[in-house]
Amino acid sequence: MRATRFLLGSALLVAVPWIVAAALPGQQRYVLHVLIFTTLYGALALSYDLVVGHVGSLSLAHPAFFGLGAYTLALLATEARWPFAAGIALAAVVALAVGVPMFRLTEHSFAMGTLGFAIVTQVVATNWVDFTHGPLCVTGIPKPQVGALRIATLPAFYWMGLATLGLVALLYRGLTTFRLGRAFHAVRDNETLAAAASIDPLKYRMLAFVIGGGVAGGVGALYVSYVGVLCPGELTVSLSVNLLVMVFLGGVGSLRGVLVGAAAFTALPEILRMAPTWRMVIYGLLLLVIVIRAPDGLEGLMRRGRWRGRRPSSSGA
Amino acid sequence: MSDLVEQLVHGLTLGSLYAMVATGLALMFGVVRLINFAHGEFYMLGGYAFWYAYAELGLPYPVAGLAAVAAMAVFGLAYERAVIRTILARTWHVQLIATLATSITLTNLAILAFGTQPKEVPTRLSAAILDLGGVRMAWQRVLVLVAAVAIFAALEWFVAHAKLGKAMRAMSQNREACAVVGVDVQQVALATFGISAGLAAAAATLVSPLFSIFPDVGALLTLKAFAAVIVGGFGYVRGAIAAAFLIGIAESLAAGYLSYAYKDAIAFVVMVAVLLVRPQGLFGRRIGI
Repeated sequence: MRATRFLLGSALLVAVPWIVAAALPGQQRYVLHVLIFTTLYGALALSYDLVVGHVGSLSLAHPAFFGLGAYTLALLATEARWPFAAGIALAAVVALAVGVPMFRLTEHSFAMGTLGFAIVTQVVATNWVDFTHGPLCVTGIPKPQVGALRIATLPAFYWMGLATLGLVALLYRGLTTFRLGRAFHAVRDNETLAAAASIDPLKYRMLAFVIGGGVAGGVGALYVSYVGVLCPGELTVSLSVNLLVMVFLGGVGSLRGVLVGAAAFTALPEILRMAPTWRMVIYGLLLLVIVIRAPDGLEGLMRRGRWRGRRPSSSGA
Repeated sequence: MSDLVEQLVHGLTLGSLYAMVATGLALMFGVVRLINFAHGEFYMLGGYAFWYAYAELGLPYPVAGLAAVAAMAVFGLAYERAVIRTILARTWHVQLIATLATSITLTNLAILAFGTQPKEVPTRLSAAILDLGGVRMAWQRVLVLVAAVAIFAALEWFVAHAKLGKAMRAMSQNREACAVVGVDVQQVALATFGISAGLAAAAATLVSPLFSIFPDVGALLTLKAFAAVIVGGFGYVRGAIAAAFLIGIAESLAAGYLSYAYKDAIAFVVMVAVLLVRPQGLFGRRIGI
């Protein structure tokens, strides 16, 4: 039953470009564009939740890893052959290098240290004009090419985003269930107890941080290859805020919750059609209200509401 | 040589600014164990309050400055009642995200209200130049330094001798014991937020004639002040003040002799360097403010 539903759902998601073309002939480009952003934001939010929701380290460095992957692709795309892998690898290696001093910090200090790293990355991206083109932005980034397959049309990008999201979701599920997932949660819920049970908190935090950073780098690379332009403004702290809103709106530490949060977050501003500044005001207030009044987000509402009769979700939220 | 002295004076001005903001952060952390990520926005709003009173209403400088400090102290009290009191009993995750959300909201509200164009507030003192044998500086910088020394001396006396100051010190050592012996912990927490916000506004009033006021000045300032708090040893006010001056001078020298564009990264570099050698901060970890 579950397998059938899963297959049906997947087929439906893959068929979306044709459905949109049939149902909304005039607006299919716009709708697909929003959906591509949704898949990429979903993948990014999952990689963020790996760090925030599962090992409980409130990192604000995610925009930096996203940006590292994005810049690696943007600057290598014309010369190197494996820019995607390079973007992921660089972001993961930098996450490792940043993690070593950062994990000496705890709680607030860790958040502040990672925020500092994100700000420094953006300062460098803005000021190292010779290398990153600074505020002039990197333009003319070529479309991705895998062997003979060139991804150029909107449906192709949608399938690429969907495949990425699927892979990241699989990775997320794999990492957060089984023995490894239990170790993550032990570290998150009680560090001292975990250490006493010979689960090294630093090792598991580091693992989640590096994998999360690497995935963010990969998503960053895909993002710029779709958008085609990369400016230092993409790396700002507001990206962290967006990710926090998605993760907390949906439900921390839950695959379904984070995906619902990412979808709601990407769709909401498109529906409301408001100015970016007002959007940030509303996100700020929304985040404040959610975190105070409903810390388990939409996932909590879903669990308490329609799914009441079932056994509790196995995602370990 | 005179160039170096001028850079040092600039560093001391920056240090005074960071120290006043960092002191507020350290006081809040000491009394209620909470990091207020919206603290830089208190400075930003204080700057706009001063700009409004001085440039728009045309009040004299001291009156405009005191009005801005009073307005922000009231804002600090309102913030404690509206946001902080609901999150004090929650985990640090919730506290951090709630204050961060406040910071984002305030920054963008300021953009809507005042625009992104920086506001310049030159005063007579910021235009008048003091020349000390080739070392030139604006009189406003002298005012900043004198005022900073006066404010820190007053704060030192307040924490050591005033009844409220003693209560704040006691709460930073043991909140439960304070409640048991009849200290009104809610009122002390409330007063701490008023004082901290007032300090941030005082900093804004003093340095705004030298630097301009713009809506997203706060995020970076919170980071630097927090770096000073960490470097100084968590929640230890004198340590935070010393570290703030260290960061201000390092930043000023780096801007003058290394690279102006990268000056904002210096506070962070100092913080990471100190933490690698002394994770407990330069002045150790001791209990109390």
